Amino acid sequence: MSKIGVFVCHCGENISATVDCKKVAEEAAKLTGVEVSLDYKYMCSDPGQTIIKEAIKEKGLTGVVVAACSPRMHEPTFRKACAEAGLNPFMCEMTNLREHCSWVHEKNDQTTEKAIDLVRMLVEKTKLNKPLNEIKVPVSKKALVIGGGIAGIQASLDIANAGHQVILVEKEASIGGHMSQLSETFPTLDCSQCILTPRMVEVAQHPNITLYNYAELESLDGFIGNFKATIRLKAKSVDPKACTGCGACYNKCPKKKIPSEFNEGLGMRTAIYTPFPQAVPNKPVIDKENCNYYKNGKCKICEKVCPTGAIEFDKPDEFVTENVGAIVLATGFNVLKPDFFPEYGYGQFKDVITGLQFERLASASGPTLGEIRRPSDGKVPQKVVFIACAGSRDPAKGIPYCSKICCMYTAKHAMLYQHKVHGGESTVFYMDIRAGGKNYEEFVRRAIEEDGANYVRGRVARIYEKDGKLIVKGVDTLLGAKPVEIEADMVVLASAGVANCGAEELAQKMHVSYDPYKFFAEAHPKLKPVETNTAGIYLCGACQAPKDIPDTVATASGAAAKVIGLFSKDELTREPLVAVVNRIASHDVSTCVGCFMCQTACPYQAIEREEVKNRAGEVIKTVARVNPGLCQGCGTCVSFCRSKSIDIQGFSNEQMYAEVLAVLNTP
Amino acid sequence: MAELNSKVKELFEKDLIDIFIGYEEGTRNPRPYFAYSAQDADNLVFNDKCQGNLAVYLTRKDLVGGKRVGISASYFALKSISQLFDENQLKEDLLIVLGMKEDGSILEFKGLDEIRTYLSEAKAPSKQKDDELLKELSEMSQAERWQFWSDELSKCFKCYACRAACPMCYCTKCIIEVNRPQWIQPWISTQGNMEWQINRVMHMAGRCSDCGSCGAACPIGIPIHLLTHMMTKTVAANFGESNEQGNVLSTFKPDDKENFIL
Repeated sequence: MSKIGVFVCHCGENISATVDCKKVAEEAAKLTGVEVSLDYKYMCSDPGQTIIKEAIKEKGLTGVVVAACSPRMHEPTFRKACAEAGLNPFMCEMTNLREHCSWVHEKNDQTTEKAIDLVRMLVEKTKLNKPLNEIKVPVSKKALVIGGGIAGIQASLDIANAGHQVILVEKEASIGGHMSQLSETFPTLDCSQCILTPRMVEVAQHPNITLYNYAELESLDGFIGNFKATIRLKAKSVDPKACTGCGACYNKCPKKKIPSEFNEGLGMRTAIYTPFPQAVPNKPVIDKENCNYYKNGKCKICEKVCPTGAIEFDKPDEFVTENVGAIVLATGFNVLKPDFFPEYGYGQFKDVITGLQFERLASASGPTLGEIRRPSDGKVPQKVVFIACAGSRDPAKGIPYCSKICCMYTAKHAMLYQHKVHGGESTVFYMDIRAGGKNYEEFVRRAIEEDGANYVRGRVARIYEKDGKLIVKGVDTLLGAKPVEIEADMVVLASAGVANCGAEELAQKMHVSYDPYKFFAEAHPKLKPVETNTAGIYLCGACQAPKDIPDTVATASGAAAKVIGLFSKDELTREPLVAVVNRIASHDVSTCVGCFMCQTACPYQAIEREEVKNRAGEVIKTVARVNPGLCQGCGTCVSFCRSKSIDIQGFSNEQMYAEVLAVLNTP
Repeated sequence: MAELNSKVKELFEKDLIDIFIGYEEGTRNPRPYFAYSAQDADNLVFNDKCQGNLAVYLTRKDLVGGKRVGISASYFALKSISQLFDENQLKEDLLIVLGMKEDGSILEFKGLDEIRTYLSEAKAPSKQKDDELLKELSEMSQAERWQFWSDELSKCFKCYACRAACPMCYCTKCIIEVNRPQWIQPWISTQGNMEWQINRVMHMAGRCSDCGSCGAACPIGIPIHLLTHMMTKTVAANFGESNEQGNVLSTFKPDDKENFIL
């Protein structure tokens, strides 16, 4: 027979202002199986907890119902108190009289009656509670970081510096990501490469970091603490161990006219190449799409000139499997090539370029060595128009969100242009200036007030070419929608930041959810900003949404902190509120028929196949088994199981049914 | 017909099967028949009077457990077989399926993929009579429809013939037998009968072959197959045909319709 204790909390006046707590306790005392029922001003306080502990000991309670605030808040508190008094912590339940009752209703008899109903429901549930033990899962203390931009670099270094092994996977030949392409960075105008490249080198030299460049995640199995990642090492055609990075190969490569990805097509590269001179690792790879040998079977000049014989043609991709405990996704973003702006003529007019292309023009390592020269004829443009929100905040173009970084980098571009081209004229068309951030607003004001960038609030309707000039037609909405026409030498589009290509496939591979724009989704936008819905997989940087460098680095360190926290223990402790496939008496009488519809329904890949064998070792049947390390207790499988062979511990069908009946059969 | 008999004979003579599930002549209509030898194969028949869905026997462990099985399968039985494979209830190497076309010719399937290809191209037999009945029902007001089903289901005495006739009802423990908690009233009452039928139909959602065996099996002629027929149409309209999609209702696809979310 159950001996339940009911403890009704006033929560100061939060509950007692509208609920008659004394009456709730009195009514609860009348319920069958309730041994003791008390009310107290602050149940969570030390004396409040003592009341519960003493009642457990004195009355020999088998279950405890605390009618107080949200279990989110104090369930751990009360479960701990119960455990201290010798009761299994999962025999303690909380009903939420505050958010579910007192805060949402007026003071009257019905409110108190509802509170009594809530208590009665939980008393009936608690009678069916079973003692549960926490689940222990071992943790492999090695992290996988996917993406070697500034986010992945920061996360890798933070985790590695805490003493854990890190596998960093980068799909390109070099780490560095978009940040390595940038010229100067707002709001301090420090050179991007100057602050980034030391970090890149640190990654390469760190004893705890294994860098797989030119590699991609092939598949992922397992669960938090115990992932198994298969990584495809794309064939580089160059043996990195033999290569000294002397550069003889790419100096002699006959294919010299391949648009450089690093220079956003403004410069050229060879077929065997390192993306940029400061690349890490600074060893070339062969681009098979463009290499003469791979295309026509002839050439092999690089092989002939290589002094160490490092060139190795026709090697297949290799695969490595790594067991890791946690994963950080840092796959970054992409910049929309604004092809879908026929009105702006990108692709049609050579001197309409993207913000990222302008970064390359302004960069000392860029194709113009930092001089602002327009792509068409190499002349220094005397009038430049910058268009913010090219694509962003435009539901008609399918991107209703703000790309966040464009206001700031456009101000920076205008400023850099003014610094580099004395007497030049810059005009910025904008919708709003969003400069929220430390020293950001000051930076924009500086561009306008000190460097003389001409800010025009309004949209550009059209760009066309006339007599070697780009005619930009827009309106100035602050001057009563007055039409503005500018004869520009160059136009820079602050095109929208979008999800990186392949983000969707990667998310599906890893079972991470994503938003309609293919950016990865956080577990909670405010309180779990670097977690995903899949335990053990974390997010950082611009793969979540467009982010600037400070935010990216902050989230990277945040994700690293989560990983380090996870690795701080040898075993992971999880609440045992997970699904279990029933096992009545012995294995062979499991009512599970092995249809595995639960397996396709499970969002967490927690359902495994288990073979039930007889004494001779023959398989009698195959039934479902829930991996407690992966199960998140969502209950989707329970609702799918036709024969009701799966239950959630702590929230069993029987318990839920008892709760519902308790409220339906109100006396 | 002779084609079927000689084919099955051959299967036994070559020792490829231990049992063949088909039909033999009955008093009025053909009835299910289990052939165990080449000699038995002579008794097999297949014609348009053959009722029921033979796939129901494929999950009967007492009958076929561990044996190599052959089966003459109608269009609906093929659909059920495909679904049973999806649900891990059949083993490909233990099953030989002979598809029976409406003209009496035999389709020999070399495995599941061929069955699925055939099903994706084959046209489902017409259900004109059922569609007319459904139309009548859909033209009723909600209250009238409720009354219709209340009247019909008040006659049910829970013999579970519908369950026994259904190839998809192979659970070793049916929800009706689960008593902790007691989801469905097990005794005979209009409400309990309705609970049972609603549950049965929901458990068929996305899995039903629409063969109508449940309705045909009902000894007092309650048209319960109209429930599964309607449900099959609803699922197909929202998620596509189940034999193309696998388990439609337990599988998530990013482009699934979510128009039920307000």
